[in-house]
Amino acid sequence: MLQNGHPVLIIGGGPGGLEAARTVASLGQPALLVERRNRLGGTPDAEHYAKLTHGFRDAEEAIGELVAAVTSDPLVEVLTGTEVVACDGEAGAFHVTLRRGQETHERVASTIIVATGFQHFDPGRETQMYNYYSFPDVVTLGDMEAMLKTHQVVRPSNGQPPERVAFIQCVGSRDRQIGNEFCSKVCCGIASKQAIEIKQQLPHARVFIFYIDMRMYGYWENELYWPAQEQYKVNYVKGIVSEILPKGDKLLIRGEDTTMGRPMEVTVDLVVLSVGMEPSSGTRKVAKLLGLAQNKYGYIEAGGPSGLDPVATSRPGVFVVGAAARPADLDDTFATAGLAAARAVATARRAAVSV
Amino acid sequence: MDSSLRKVQDVWEQDTAIVEGVDISGPWNRMFGQRVIWDYTPELIDEIASLPGAESFAWCYQCGKCVPVCPVDVVGDYGPRKLYRKAQTGISLLDSPDLWLCTTCMNCLRVCPKQVDMVQIMPAAREQALLSGRPLPAELQEALENTARYGNPLGQPPRKREAWVKDAGVPVPILHQIQRPVEWLWWVECYPSYHPRGIDASIALARIFHALGLDFGILGREEKCAGDSQRLAGERGLFEMLAEENIRTLSKYEFHHIVVTDPHALNAFRKQYPKYGGQYDVWHYTTLLARELPRLRPLLTRQLPYRLTFHDPCYLGRHNGEYDAPRQLIEALPGVEFTEMPRCRQNSYCCGGGGGGMWLDSFAAGRQRRRLSEERVLEAVATGADTLVICCPYEVSRFEDAVKSTGHEGRLRVRDIAELLAEAMGLIGEEPAKA
Repeated sequence: MLQNGHPVLIIGGGPGGLEAARTVASLGQPALLVERRNRLGGTPDAEHYAKLTHGFRDAEEAIGELVAAVTSDPLVEVLTGTEVVACDGEAGAFHVTLRRGQETHERVASTIIVATGFQHFDPGRETQMYNYYSFPDVVTLGDMEAMLKTHQVVRPSNGQPPERVAFIQCVGSRDRQIGNEFCSKVCCGIASKQAIEIKQQLPHARVFIFYIDMRMYGYWENELYWPAQEQYKVNYVKGIVSEILPKGDKLLIRGEDTTMGRPMEVTVDLVVLSVGMEPSSGTRKVAKLLGLAQNKYGYIEAGGPSGLDPVATSRPGVFVVGAAARPADLDDTFATAGLAAARAVATARRAAVSV
Repeated sequence: MDSSLRKVQDVWEQDTAIVEGVDISGPWNRMFGQRVIWDYTPELIDEIASLPGAESFAWCYQCGKCVPVCPVDVVGDYGPRKLYRKAQTGISLLDSPDLWLCTTCMNCLRVCPKQVDMVQIMPAAREQALLSGRPLPAELQEALENTARYGNPLGQPPRKREAWVKDAGVPVPILHQIQRPVEWLWWVECYPSYHPRGIDASIALARIFHALGLDFGILGREEKCAGDSQRLAGERGLFEMLAEENIRTLSKYEFHHIVVTDPHALNAFRKQYPKYGGQYDVWHYTTLLARELPRLRPLLTRQLPYRLTFHDPCYLGRHNGEYDAPRQLIEALPGVEFTEMPRCRQNSYCCGGGGGGMWLDSFAAGRQRRRLSEERVLEAVATGADTLVICCPYEVSRFEDAVKSTGHEGRLRVRDIAELLAEAMGLIGEEPAKA
């Protein structure tokens, strides 16, 4: 078998980077996993996710297993608290500069996998009108995850459990004015998952989901959407909310029930904004650093010359995983991580012939 | 549910009907209009979207965000996204009363994720309706004819446009008389020149300008309507004629800036006149007075024991981004209490006068459970205010009528910011200057 002793550099220690590192190692190639934070686990860890959409697995436990698999693998070297600050060379032998605190050092990598992921849309930005930063009882999916994790689903204004909770979909997605024209793909499923969890923790709460379209791909339809509606009695209302007004110590949400063609004004205790995805600051930074083409939203351009390779970037020998290239759920992330690992190892070995 | 509500559209009754000897005249034989939708067609969407400026009509994805912020939907069964849906199901916007209900207030565009722009779609569609010979509402027709004939929608003689000046009590220089350059050309506009309550505000403003020692002048009888609302009502040809004439008149005189009373004129000068070669530095009077606050403030000596609320004009706020200047002026008034209405600033509720609405009140009345101005007055009353402060000349007559029709006469007064400032300066009394 051809060998290239230089490791595959994996940038980002979230689910995508972890899965890529594990797969690279399982193919017999050393992996060097670099993570800017001091912990592995990525956004599910940093944002205190409660449960994953996959079988409602406990996020900490599921991601913890992945982290353990990677850190115990002798072929994977993990550098946390470390950033990539420079890169030159080409496929087969990239010369990268890593910085940890004040110290920098050089490493040689055969190929590179970028798994720098996404960040949640900030609803305080741009044309938002939901008063996220003014009304304490307007929260985001991320805020709700953290509350669900600690079993403390309350109205931040008074610490009391809410009687009525409303999710508003498509916040920061599918919007030309904001500039995020894409569908963030996961928010419909996450909102439905959270609605179920809220009902599990607060069985007497009434939960509404106000939506434009419910986009429940594949099995999310029967695993999340139908149980939420049929078993947990979540109210799905087709009609998006335009504004939230204070009403005493509650919130009045105003929208249109589009199937009835009538205005609606619903009083609730807690509003959850289903914020979408944006490329993370790390994704933007690493894309620039490595000279990778980005699309107009800042995601790393993927597809390659054929348009059919979801992990190819504009630079040979550099591959991209999951939400660094597009809004992605965990299935997308794991699938592209495995593919990127295979491509990276194959490219490393081919390059070994010519080097 | 209000039991007196009855939807009359699409309902038919035969006055006289005897079936098998049974009299079922009137409501007993009530028939309903077509309920089943037969077909979905792109043609009537294209009919609008193919008009220059109206392309975005076809972009709607039916999310419905526009409907709750649409001031017309609040009082009737109308909503921007419904126009697309109706077109899809075979109802032409050009033949629908919906065509004349939009006030171009721009609140739908503010929240629209697809940037469907009714401010451009409506004038384009209305122009198309006119060009294709469809009848337009009679009252609008009259206002447009008046504008074409007299240069103002009220049908007043042009020479009377400067008549208010003799009541001003301070010198109001008229440019064709003084023959010298001025720093500020004051574009008074139609309602502030002719309407009695508009004149009250003009007199107040003239006295404020005079007290500040502002070097200003007006065009008087040479001024014609800036024409923006006529343009938005679909009469682009008339607007172009007015713009060209006004630009020609303005070119005769030397001035540094234009100060306008009317936010609709502000909009025309800022966004439309440059297309016809008229480039000016244009200010709304609230912006100018807010800038002059250091000199104005010491003159505000009288206590005003009023509880105020303020209505943001669509064409000053959403269309031209000025929300702060009127509030700075209100806060400078000694002794007043100020409360915002729930729908304020970017989300201000339209008075119903924009986009030709000023001349469509009867037409709209039959299609709405109450006027937009009435809806707004009720919101103002609910704040506990005794005075509704305005700074757009369309509003004083609209809101004063609405105060009466909603039974709040004597409980809510409608006053221009200029009137309140002038009162605080001791330049006018508590009653309108000319009353």
